[in-house]
Amino acid sequence: MSKGWQLTLILTLVGLFALFYQGLWGDPRHIPTVLIETEAPNFEGPDVETGQTISLEQFKGKVVLLNFWASWCYECKVEHKSILQLHQLFKDNPDFVMLGVNYQDELADAQKYLQDYGSTFSHVRDLKGQLAIDYGVYGVPETFVIDQQGKIRHKWVGPITGEVYTNITQKVIAPLLNAPPTTTTTS
Amino acid sequence: MSIRLTWCLAALLTIPLPLLAAVQDETDVDIQVREIAKTLRCTVCQTENIWESGAPLAQQMRGVIRDRIAMGHSTEEIRAYFLSRYGDYILMEPPKHGVNWIIWVAPFLLLLIGGFFLYKEVTHWVRDTPTPPSQSEPPLDDQARRRIERELKS
Repeated sequence: MSKGWQLTLILTLVGLFALFYQGLWGDPRHIPTVLIETEAPNFEGPDVETGQTISLEQFKGKVVLLNFWASWCYECKVEHKSILQLHQLFKDNPDFVMLGVNYQDELADAQKYLQDYGSTFSHVRDLKGQLAIDYGVYGVPETFVIDQQGKIRHKWVGPITGEVYTNITQKVIAPLLNAPPTTTTTS
Repeated sequence: MSIRLTWCLAALLTIPLPLLAAVQDETDVDIQVREIAKTLRCTVCQTENIWESGAPLAQQMRGVIRDRIAMGHSTEEIRAYFLSRYGDYILMEPPKHGVNWIIWVAPFLLLLIGGFFLYKEVTHWVRDTPTPPSQSEPPLDDQARRRIERELKS
């Protein structure tokens, strides 16, 4: 066998083993998103606390942070303090809106959760799971940032804490609002 | 009534009634939901399709399929919708394009490479193994022949 063939074989094998190795050590639960830079699907649903209809369309032209959560979700409780802090940081900006999406939950449990942990912004109920599927959600918490043009600019699967919080506030939301907020980090 | 008809009726009676009912209850929509759901992966249980999965998300996805069928969407349109939300990951069978070809070709490629090296190695062993010198069996002497005959008889 010529040296060229030997080299090709070795490179092919190394390449295949590198792929298998990556597959073995990567997170099998992670699903790469295909929604970035696509138009955010519109939705409509009742407010968890007031029952009034909320739709994404009414916030057209604003930066919208959409946070999917459930009362039975442990990681949602972990991030809740940071989520409230994030709202506190941007709530005075008229171009910013934050919405919670209650996912696969009972209304009474969701209302109790908000009473226990606090709520400073609106939360819409995803009654049939359609909203979550429209956004390619497969677990909670999941967070999306939608820009003024209605395009999904950022998605994060997992709690918004620590470095993730810093990244989303300083590198995602602030540039979109064109007004850098003061540096804040969470533990 | 002919004998053949009697036998047919008798055979029908042997079918368990719930099974018969289940078959009759499944509408065309149910069949379409099942066919589509079997091709989509449950995103929370990973190894199961959304037809077999008992996860709430899989249940909701089956509901979405049913709603879209009711709205007149075709099988391909419904699959395309899920693909647009979750990407290739949602498909039980990875589509044969781009980097996905590696998944389809790699096992056969590895088998070919392994087989090639095995063939080379075996031919190498065969070529390098010295053939033992041929030795003709010594003829039996009379004493040995008599002993064999004696033992065969006993």
